Amino acid sequence: MFSWRHMLSEEGIALLLVLFVFAAPVAAATRLQERSLFMQSDEPGVTTSYTVSYRYATPQPVGSVDMLFCNDPIPYHPCVAPTGLNVSGAVLSHQGGETGFSILSKTTNHIVLTRIPGMVSNDLSTYTFDNIINPTDASQAFSIRLRTHDTTDATGSQIDFGSVRGQVASGIALETQVPPMLVFCVAQQVEDDCVGTNDNFYTDMGELSPKETLTAQSQMAVGTNASGGFAITANGIPMSAGNSVIDSPAIPTESKKGTNQFGINLVANNTPAVGEDPQGIWANAVASPDYGIPDHYKYTPGDVVAYSPNVSLMKKFTVSYIVNSSDNLRAGVYTTTITYIASGRF
Amino acid sequence: MREIRGMKRFKSIVAAGFAVLIAASYVMPAVTASAVSSAALSIVPKKNYVIEPGKSVKDTLIIRNLDDKIPLILTLRAVDFTFTDDGGTPKLMLDPNAPQTTWSLRPFMTIPKNVTVAPGSSKTVDMSVSIPAGHGAGSYYSAIVYSSGSGEGGNVGLSASGVTLAFVTIPGKVNEDLQLQKFGIYKPAKLSGEQGNFMFITTEMPQMIAYNLKNNGNVTEAPVGNITLTNMFGQKQTIDDINPNRSLALIGQSRTFPSCIKLKTQDVNFNNRTTKTADCESPSLWPGMYTATLDAFYGQNGNNTKEIIRTATFWYLPWWFILLVLVVLAVAGYYVWRIVRRIKYGRPGPRTKSSRQK
Repeated sequence: MFSWRHMLSEEGIALLLVLFVFAAPVAAATRLQERSLFMQSDEPGVTTSYTVSYRYATPQPVGSVDMLFCNDPIPYHPCVAPTGLNVSGAVLSHQGGETGFSILSKTTNHIVLTRIPGMVSNDLSTYTFDNIINPTDASQAFSIRLRTHDTTDATGSQIDFGSVRGQVASGIALETQVPPMLVFCVAQQVEDDCVGTNDNFYTDMGELSPKETLTAQSQMAVGTNASGGFAITANGIPMSAGNSVIDSPAIPTESKKGTNQFGINLVANNTPAVGEDPQGIWANAVASPDYGIPDHYKYTPGDVVAYSPNVSLMKKFTVSYIVNSSDNLRAGVYTTTITYIASGRF
Repeated sequence: MREIRGMKRFKSIVAAGFAVLIAASYVMPAVTASAVSSAALSIVPKKNYVIEPGKSVKDTLIIRNLDDKIPLILTLRAVDFTFTDDGGTPKLMLDPNAPQTTWSLRPFMTIPKNVTVAPGSSKTVDMSVSIPAGHGAGSYYSAIVYSSGSGEGGNVGLSASGVTLAFVTIPGKVNEDLQLQKFGIYKPAKLSGEQGNFMFITTEMPQMIAYNLKNNGNVTEAPVGNITLTNMFGQKQTIDDINPNRSLALIGQSRTFPSCIKLKTQDVNFNNRTTKTADCESPSLWPGMYTATLDAFYGQNGNNTKEIIRTATFWYLPWWFILLVLVVLAVAGYYVWRIVRRIKYGRPGPRTKSSRQK
């Protein structure tokens, strides 16, 4: 007599597990191995040949290969055809490894290869297509989504899948339609958009005294339409007179009269009252954390003092300088030249 | 006689010249040493080239002097650079004695040494990159530094420099190896000094998912692909482009690539050019557990396309939700306690209106 207790016995559960372990891989598609795409020419819009290579992963008969050209490599995402690409005139000019294929159908961004279904080997297979027109958008990569089927018309369940990546690249310069630019100016005073400065590139801070903190300020404005943003570093040795160099704190530190101290920051301060907060509506251009704390000063040559991680309209930064001196500071005229270097980001 | 007359004429010319110079020095405005060069410029921040061995590329650099009063006098030089951290800020090797890097483009690049740009105008200067025949495939990069003169006088002199990053890809068989090191929700660095970090649990609405890749190959890499975010109920949302800025992992760098869960783009006007900007906005996630799946691809032309797949789990538990859960648990605990007491000791359970009436 049938009993559910028999079905839930240890033997029953073990049988289910075995079935699961051995049955699942047969049904699941695996990725084609060592996939690659070689574009004979990667100039945008030119007619060229593509060679697609891969190893078949699953030892099953294959009757067709589906090649779908999309911007996105993920097989289950909607396919947007690469701008300018055209494979409707493609000719299968060479094949190696698993052979016997011919083109069953082709559209602007789709090729189906067909053959009499046959078992695949583990050799590297290559398929060269002539007369393909390259995409025209050099700013974006594209992909060929590959699928293998046991049917001859790329229908039914897939056996293996995988994508190969390609990108067109102009031999001269790979840039978007709008040329990126980096705008930068430095002076004692600058206008927000760098169209004017007071053309004064130095400042006299006065006479050093242990009882007084000397202050000064300069300004710089920066902006870029480059997608990577910008970074500004401050370079140059701290204030010095001959071999005597005024120390500069390596971490943000409060101003202390009577000590040898040279530091800068990029925000408004109360002690001493100097500087201004960054001006400009663009929020992603900021002072670096170490140089953005009010009443705390630091100077390490080469440090990034301001940056933006992406496109930034013009932003103006006011740099505050403080100098303190101790009684035993060697007499002399202490000077420095700070070079602010603005660069794009990669 | 003729000689004496000639001498007199020469003396009068010299005297007149001095007179003109002295007069000019009084009439013309005083020009300080600091006003030698403008420090307001516009340059191209980045150049990319693909050059086959044995071939060269001729290109131009456009430099604009934004100052309409004084000329921009620049000194140009090529320096090597590497990465500063896991971001995209270049670390310039400005020391003239700095050793040449293995990826240096300097030996192949030709740029002018000095450029002067008239006030308020632009200048186009020629540059070229020549790759010797038989040179191996890979990525090569250096930076062009445009240095303006520095201010002289006073205690603090100022100087401005701009930098163009130049990248060259030499096609062919290359060594490509990106190793995924971290993947998950990401909190970017804050102005308060807090460093950017990956998190497993967050009480703040997560806005970014990031992945960190170590580049062990000999080429720069810009991965492409997607991230799928799935909540506890199986609802999915996709980050379509995991590298919208086409950011690069330099040779040897561990690069963090952050992506907004929900991206807000807008067109803005920058110097009379329309530019698209992108920023994160709140993805309006519900509290709970999420699973993120990364599917990233990379591979140069003619080389294997490699795929990185990784799944990460994280919890979004805002404080209000934690408090709500605690209150619900406390209330439930209280009622359970009352019921247990009633069952165990026969004491009354939770007071209800009907029990009070009795």
